[in-house]
Amino acid sequence: MSAAWTLIVLDMKRFWQDRIRLVSSLIQPLLYLFVLGSGLGASSRLGGADYRRYIFPGVLALTLLFSSTFAAITIVFDRQIGFLKAVLVAPVPRWAIAAGRIGAGALQALVQAALLLVLAPVVGVHLSPGSLLAVIGAMVLSAAAFSAIGVAVAARFSSPAVFPVISNALLLPMYFLSGALYPLGMAPQWMKVAAHFDPVAYAVDLLRRALLGQGFFVVPIAVAALVLVTALLLWSSVRVFARGEDTDGRRGPRASRLLP
Amino acid sequence: MSPNAAPVPAPADAVIVVEGVTKRYGEVEALRGIDLTIRAGEMFALLGPNGAGKTSLFSILATLRTLTAGRATLCGHDVTRERAAVRRNIGIVFQEPAIERRLTVRDNLELMARCYGLGAAEARRRAGTLLEKLGLQEAADRPAEQTSGGQRRRIELARALVARPRVLFLDEATLGLDVEARRNFWAEVRRMAGEGLTVFFTTHYMEEAEVADRIALIAEGRIIALGSPRELKAGFGGGVIRLSTDDDTAAAAWLAGRGFKAATAEKQLLLVHADPAAVLPLLVRELPVPVRRVEMHAPSLEDVFLELTGRGLGGDSAPAVPGRFNGAAP
Repeated sequence: MSAAWTLIVLDMKRFWQDRIRLVSSLIQPLLYLFVLGSGLGASSRLGGADYRRYIFPGVLALTLLFSSTFAAITIVFDRQIGFLKAVLVAPVPRWAIAAGRIGAGALQALVQAALLLVLAPVVGVHLSPGSLLAVIGAMVLSAAAFSAIGVAVAARFSSPAVFPVISNALLLPMYFLSGALYPLGMAPQWMKVAAHFDPVAYAVDLLRRALLGQGFFVVPIAVAALVLVTALLLWSSVRVFARGEDTDGRRGPRASRLLP
Repeated sequence: MSPNAAPVPAPADAVIVVEGVTKRYGEVEALRGIDLTIRAGEMFALLGPNGAGKTSLFSILATLRTLTAGRATLCGHDVTRERAAVRRNIGIVFQEPAIERRLTVRDNLELMARCYGLGAAEARRRAGTLLEKLGLQEAADRPAEQTSGGQRRRIELARALVARPRVLFLDEATLGLDVEARRNFWAEVRRMAGEGLTVFFTTHYMEEAEVADRIALIAEGRIIALGSPRELKAGFGGGVIRLSTDDDTAAAAWLAGRGFKAATAEKQLLLVHADPAAVLPLLVRELPVPVRRVEMHAPSLEDVFLELTGRGLGGDSAPAVPGRFNGAAP
């Protein structure tokens, strides 16, 4: 446990050194909220103010999704130098390495989402002690699941070039299918079906239920889905870290070049 | 010099015991049966060209890869089945930097100490002691990226030692350092070996291998020679003649016809003979190809390796071996 905590503290130190990233990463959600929200809202039946209010939980999910998955990029940088190897040869349980990384990414995302949550009253979302507690719970579950996605991906790659690809091919589709920007209940059937396989949809749904009292999924199912995603990806990352330098031959061992 | 000798019981002070270890990557056999016993306090060098299996053996002992067959133990713990126990006994300096550049040197050491389960106070104490011991106090509170190349290697050494390992692994640990920084680095390691630390290292620099108590030469996944630097050179027998001619291929053919075994190394012919001084005039006189340059010297480790494998240690990416052509006796 203490080793996992050590790794979390390390990542938080690096996060703090990257304060510019912290501030700049808030630009995207603010654009969604005040530009897309105002522009699209003005033409929607809900009206500008109501639409902004409606997508606020979705914008929280956006911040959580991109912040926590991109926090995992440090794993790739650590692999490029020998730092990850130095951790791997230390007697740290492999689950603690994976859990530490997932925890660190989730924590960073939660800090950023908390900064956004302060804006809730501005867009007409009023928080009671009960809804605050519920939304924090939903944020923690979502951040953990998203961070686990980031770590499971980052643990498998040695170049940061893969991240824009993941962002476009995986994160954005998951985000757009999640119902973050529109009510899933009114979406075409195929999108409703797809949402059931999208962890982001469960996260958005829990956040929206906590903040606005509306939802598409049953709460226990949404909670279970996020916990399951976190657990499965944690397990899968542990397996990658346990493998060490042994690869399944894809990255070709160096020895093969010179042996007859 | 008895490679792959019949297994004998490991001595009581054996720290690393390797028995019949093989490693396969798909179709490729990187290690083809390695047997080794390394004792406490020994400085042991693993030499070989790129692709000989050095990295595979190193990574297996360092718990970063699994072995295909055979058995290897470190401090009595199986390197694949009892990895956590093995890890508690080892410290490793990798070729590449393994410190977080943005953290201070001290923070880096404390972080690693915490990864080994030490408490905050103990971690701070250990980091302080090592910084002093390795002459790093002045750099201690700077971000690691603001230190010199020589300092960085010493920081790596401190990182590897922070948990007080019984075995120190060094993988090409001095790559890129200047001669003086290399000398300081090895003096420090030698001193620690004197205090009982077991050191297992790989290197491309021949003069570094000379500091080892024993050297294993590895080629194509097998240990082809094992012994102290002196034993290896003595077992080689005689001296070395290096010839440079207008047509090395023709010269090699001519030499072969007269029972000399000539190896080609970096546009030179390398010839081993029990009495090089006696045979040299004859060669120069009788070779049908004009001779441009002749050298004669006592065998170096490089020569031993070349003779045993018919090819040099320096692979395509290996640095040139300093002092190789000066003909000086070691």
